[in-house]
Amino acid sequence: MDSKKVLKITLIVVILGGLFSLYHFFNPATHSYFIPCPFNYLTGYHCPGCGSQRAIHQLLHFNIVAAFRLNPLMVLSLPLIIAGLGVNSWNFIFNTQHRVKLFYSNLFIYGYFGIAVLYWVVRNITVYPFSLLAPTE
Amino acid sequence: MENNNPTGTPPDNNLVWAILCTVLCCLPLGIVAIIKSTKVKELWALGDQEGAMKAASDAKKYSIWGAAIGGIFVVLYIIFVVVLGVAGGMSGF
Repeated sequence: MDSKKVLKITLIVVILGGLFSLYHFFNPATHSYFIPCPFNYLTGYHCPGCGSQRAIHQLLHFNIVAAFRLNPLMVLSLPLIIAGLGVNSWNFIFNTQHRVKLFYSNLFIYGYFGIAVLYWVVRNITVYPFSLLAPTE
Repeated sequence: MENNNPTGTPPDNNLVWAILCTVLCCLPLGIVAIIKSTKVKELWALGDQEGAMKAASDAKKYSIWGAAIGGIFVVLYIIFVVVLGVAGGMSGF
């Protein structure tokens, strides 16, 4: 393995470690210095990602229900993200060409896209049960 | 799809970045990137390797742009907070 690669991997691990401890030790719901969502900041509406930072904090404390109440789409997407990034890292480290099969299914891609757009609209409806999808304050 | 059966692995369609962009950076560009990702396999199946590569790099580009705009917002937000803080401190005098 060349030294440039080792440096890259080390850098990524350090950054990830830093982010993990940041989100573990500080709750974005109570500390104002976390960056708000630009979309929410400008429009006041929730986007598909709103609540993710608070949800990550809850997940790092194993409060899955609380995380789900903040952003269910993010929690459900997490296994996909971990699988995708895992395969990417594996390919990078071992110079392989593995692919996540699911990511090449158009049904899956359009399905995910459709859900994200629908979720974006629905979580801004302030009527129960749609209001459940908005991040819990 | 009828004559040239493509062999080998298609280029990485970078869908994971598009998803990440959608649920974390919350920017519509993540959604554009998702759509671009579908093109990778379609073009690859047609034997258009160059087109598939281009679609893959486009998908990556949109995700990166989404993240970059997020990053720009972060910087602007920090400047805004610092300016407010300084202005608030000055008005105290």
